[in-house]
Order: sequence, then C-alpha cells, then structure tokens
Amino acid sequence: MKNWNDLIDKQPIAIKIIKQMLMRERVSHAYLIQGDKGTGKAEIATLLAKSLFCQHRVNGEPCNNCKDCNRIDSGNHPDVHWIKPDGASIKKEQIAYLQKEFTYTGLESKQKVYLISNADRMTTNAANRLLKFLEEPSRQTTAILMTENGQGILDTIKSRCQIISLRPLAIEQIQTQLESDGITPDNARVFAMITQNLAAARALNQDEWFAQARKLVVQLIEVLRTKQEEALLFIQKQWISHFSDRDQLFLGLDLLIYWFKDLIYLQLEESDLVVFQSYLTELEASLRYWTRYDITEILYAIMEARKLIDQNVHPTLVMEQLTLQMQR
Amino acid sequence: MKFVIKRDLLIESIQHVMKAISSRVTIPILSGIKIEANQDGIKLTGSDADISIESFIPREEDGIVNIEEIEAGSIVVQAKYFPDIIRKLPLKTVEINTDDQFQVNIISGGAEFHLNGQDAAEYPQLPVLHTDNSFELKNDLLKEVIRQTVFAVSTVETRPILTGVNMNLDNGQIKFVATDSHRLASRELPLTTNHDLSFKNIVIPGRSLAELSKIIDDNEENITISVTENQILFQTKHLYFLSRLLDGNYPETSRLIPDQSKTTVLTKTKELLQAIDRASLLAKENRNNVVKLETRANHQLVISSNTPEVGQVIEEVTTEEITGDELKISFSAKYMMDALKIIQEEYVTIKFTGAMRPFIIQPNENDQILQLILPVRTY
Repeated sequence: MKNWNDLIDKQPIAIKIIKQMLMRERVSHAYLIQGDKGTGKAEIATLLAKSLFCQHRVNGEPCNNCKDCNRIDSGNHPDVHWIKPDGASIKKEQIAYLQKEFTYTGLESKQKVYLISNADRMTTNAANRLLKFLEEPSRQTTAILMTENGQGILDTIKSRCQIISLRPLAIEQIQTQLESDGITPDNARVFAMITQNLAAARALNQDEWFAQARKLVVQLIEVLRTKQEEALLFIQKQWISHFSDRDQLFLGLDLLIYWFKDLIYLQLEESDLVVFQSYLTELEASLRYWTRYDITEILYAIMEARKLIDQNVHPTLVMEQLTLQMQR
Repeated sequence: MKFVIKRDLLIESIQHVMKAISSRVTIPILSGIKIEANQDGIKLTGSDADISIESFIPREEDGIVNIEEIEAGSIVVQAKYFPDIIRKLPLKTVEINTDDQFQVNIISGGAEFHLNGQDAAEYPQLPVLHTDNSFELKNDLLKEVIRQTVFAVSTVETRPILTGVNMNLDNGQIKFVATDSHRLASRELPLTTNHDLSFKNIVIPGRSLAELSKIIDDNEENITISVTENQILFQTKHLYFLSRLLDGNYPETSRLIPDQSKTTVLTKTKELLQAIDRASLLAKENRNNVVKLETRANHQLVISSNTPEVGQVIEEVTTEEITGDELKISFSAKYMMDALKIIQEEYVTIKFTGAMRPFIIQPNENDQILQLILPVRTY
C-alpha cells in the first residue's frame, strides 16, 4: 500500500501541491495529471481518490485500511468510476455512461470521483461530451484526468482543469538500479530509455522477443547501408513478422528513433549519451553513411510513421514507405 | 457463515434479487449476489447500482421453521452460477457454508459445490430504513400511481432530471408529477399515515418505478416508503426495493397549469379515445402524429387528420356538453391517447384556453388526476 510519503521522492512538487490542497480542504473540481510513462499517474490518482473518500484521513494521508480505501483498490467502490480506453480510444458511449451516472445521486456518499486514464485518447465526440459536464460540475464531483500527452488534450478541457505536471523520471537513476541488479550497463541504458520504469525494464531483460527486436533494428540499418535493394524484402520477411501488433510496431519505431538520436549525439561528440553503446562500430559506420541533414529528415519520417500506425494505416505499407525514405 | 434452508424459499428469493442484477456491470462486485445471515434469517441482495433489491427469508414464519443451524456471516457469490446450482440441487433443503478464504460450499444430498465467493465488505453499503421519515401506501394504489405518471417521463437524456417522476409531500397530500416538457401527468392522493411528514424535490427515475411496478403484487397490502439522503426505499413484507434518486432541481410545474379555461368539453372517455385512435391511423404517416380537433354547435366535436400522400379522416363525436368559445386546436394523438388510456372514469373533462395554450384533461369529478398536453402549431 502506498501513501503520499512513499511518492514524495519520485514527485516532490506534485505531491506537495496535492497534500497542501487536501489539508486545506480546497479540492478543485477537475485535475489533469500529465507525465511520462512510469511517472506514477495512476498511483497518484488512486491515492487522491482514496484521500477524498477515506473517513480516517490523517494529515491528508488515507488510512489504506478502511472499507472505502480497500474498495477503491479493488475497483469496487460504487462512487468511483474509472474510465479506460476501450480498444484504441475512449468512446462516446463511455462518456455517455458517466454523464448518466452524474444525473443520479451517489450510491453511498454524496461525492463522486471519476478517473479517466489516457485522456488524450478520447474521440472528439467523447471529449466534447466530457466538456459539457466539466463545464458545469454538479456538487461534490471530482474529475481526475491522466495523460502522457498533455498536448493531445483539447485546450478547452485543459483550461477547466488544475494541471499537475509530473517530473520525468531520471533515466540515470533507473539505469544504476538496473545495473545493480546485474544487468550489463549497455542493456540497462536501453531498457531504462524505453520503459522508464523499473519493473517493466526487468521484464524486458527476460524477454527473448526484445533481444531479437533489437537485433533486427541493427540488421535493418545494416541492410539499408549495404544492400539497399534488399531492404524492402527484409521488411516483408523479417520485420513485419516479428513486430506483429501495434505496441510491438511502436517499440520497433522507438528503437529506430534511439538509433538516429545516437547518431546525432555522436556528431555532437556526446558519446556518453548514446543508447546503443554495444553497437558503437555500427553507429560509426552509419554516421559515415548519413549526413546530419539526412538524419533529421529520417527522424521526422519515423515520427510520421508512428502517427500513421496510430491511425490504423496498414503496417507493411508504413514500414515500406519509411524504408524508402530512409534510403539515401 | 452457515445455514440450512428450504430450497424453494431460496429459489424464490434468488428470483427476486436477480431482477436487479444486470449482465453489464460497472463494478465487478455487482455481478454477485450478497448473502447475509443472522439469527433472524437470511437476506439476499442484488444490485445494478441504480436499483437494488433485497429479499429477506425469516428463520421462522407462522410457526414453520424455514432455516436451521444459522451461524451469522456474509458473502458475495457469483450470480452467473449460483441460481442454476440451487435450482438443480437434488434435495428439498440445502446447506450453505463459507470459510474464511471466501469459499462457498453448497451441499444438498450427495451434491457438493465449492464456489469462489467475494468479500461482502466490498459490496456497496445500502441505507437502512428509518421509520421516522416513512409513510405507507397500498400496493395496488402505488401501482396505479406509477401507471398514471411514469408514461409521461422524458426518454431523451438532454434534460436528465425529466426522466424521473417528481414526488412532493406536504400537508398530508402526496403529489406525483412527470413531464417530458410536451405533456405532463400528475396524480395527487391523501396520505393515511404520518401526516407531519413533508419533503419536496424527490425525483425517482422512471425506469426504477417501472421496474418496481413489475415486482410488487397487485393486492391491498401496505408498502412502506422511506426517503434517505440519496435513495428511496420501498418495503413490502419481505422485499426491499431501493432506487437511487435523480440529482438536480425539478422544474416548477404548478405554474404551467392554467387556472381558468375558455372552452370546456365533457365527453365519454372511451368514445373520445377510440375516435382519436382512428384519426391517428392516418396521422402516423406524418411525422409527429398530429390530429386536429374542432368544436361545432350542438355539442359536436370534429376530429380530423390529413396526410396529403395518404388521405384524410374526419370523425364527428357527440359530446355531453361543450361550453365557452369556439375552438380549433391540433395536438399529438399519441399524447392524447396516453392521457386518456389511464383514465378509468366514464366521463372526462377537457379544458382549453385557446389554440396555442396547453389544455387539461381530467376525469369528471376527480381532480386527483391531471393531464396536461401542449398543442402543436399547424398552419
């Protein structure tokens, strides 16, 4: 069980703001918690919900032991509603459900809390509907929106929320912790970059799929550099079959981004920051092959590809287009 | 927890509470039935958050022992499997017991089931009945009131508060009002018990009332109604029905009702209903189901409807009496029929205040029921 003091090391400023507001009983009607993956958004949101409902709160700390706290943990509290994306996005119907819910009195208490994770993934319709009751909050309701991408939220929604920005995690901190677990420094760096979360990074270390994925990225670069005519074939035969779902495709593209970012670091002679430390020779070779201008263009292309995948464009087509753009 | 119970009683109770359990639950615990045992008997609870039904089985009733070997306790069992299991058990009695790992053992004859249960502490806390702010109504009267008002609630969610029936209690008079902003139905009745009680702006969701009406029996027994901060509770002998209330302020409706009239029509309810029904046959084609009503000399009414693509219908109705100004008015046949259908009296009075003003329908010599309909503007 967590309480605010456990989180204060990770997010000192955000926690201080929240605690102050709880102690002074000045709870706003809507919060937007924004922060990268692994920064503790869900933890903070749950804790905030508990603090609002717990009858035995001491100095803003929920007791973590009463009926209300336990039921918030198990997702069974009747007056706490947690909305998560249904598939790729948060649908209009999910917000409509909330809307209906708020026309009723609470089941147990007079207050209600709704939490929306990945709030940036609301469809336009859903966002507009939400706006309607964010604008005219009924008494004693608190909205807690969570997002990794604060820019993806409608300005009109943002302006109605108190924004709590979480500090990005210190990569070095995770890296050292991973290294103390016995993971090689090179790997530790990659894992830390990708997950920004200790538990997930440890899982990746065990994952054969990830090791293979990293190898494929290096191979793709190699093919692009030496046997350009085979690049499309490589995508067809190896890449697509390995990166078979959306999350995996994103990971593949992220790895490519880190590769080209490394090239920029090398150009700036900041070799400490390089992620793919174990492939320094390959990086050097790539550096001789692509100019700085090429690299920026490629980085833009990869970002664009990410967007396309998100919009359900066929992955093979996206990857083929990207390969063509990466060829010099 | 442990008890041995007559199976048919348990089955009946399960059937009651299952009515409240929905297949699409918002919080996982609500997919279960809560079973509570104490020395007085067993209580089952089912809920879909909006409505909750509790069914109580007393340990002893009229000298007959229903439940034996009671050890107090509580548990939540999966509603998906529990009813079927109980229904198909071999013997007339069943033993149910639980251990501290939330495992439920169901034993009847040679059959033994071990179900995974959930902690009853996770289940929503339902309010308990407070006798000091409750009143009683007869079962059949309550059913009648529901039938007379609930049809008029709004079905669209644009103004959620209108999807409920507003209940006000003052001076020993209780008043139910439902409106969808095009028509209004209200019913008043005097209270026989607890005259000092008063509350206002209690809005009960129409869906809950419709559900309640299905559950209560059509008899003269009393049902106790009590209102708590956020729920309303209807209690019959062994059945408790709880519904959440709608949050918000119900619009003030008394001002809408005109207190004088320019034209008054007194006619047979059935005849008028049938005439409107016939006229609406053609009106259904046109989008809002509008029929026209005209007053003529000699107590005659003309009801007509014209849909150019289909044809037209004209019908003359002889009324008992028409007083006041001449009138031509159009209105929705559906609303009119809904209003007339719930009137059991033979004669009905309709009071108009001009073609653009709402009109009132009331059974003759009975002002407990009042229906109001807004006319439709036609050119």
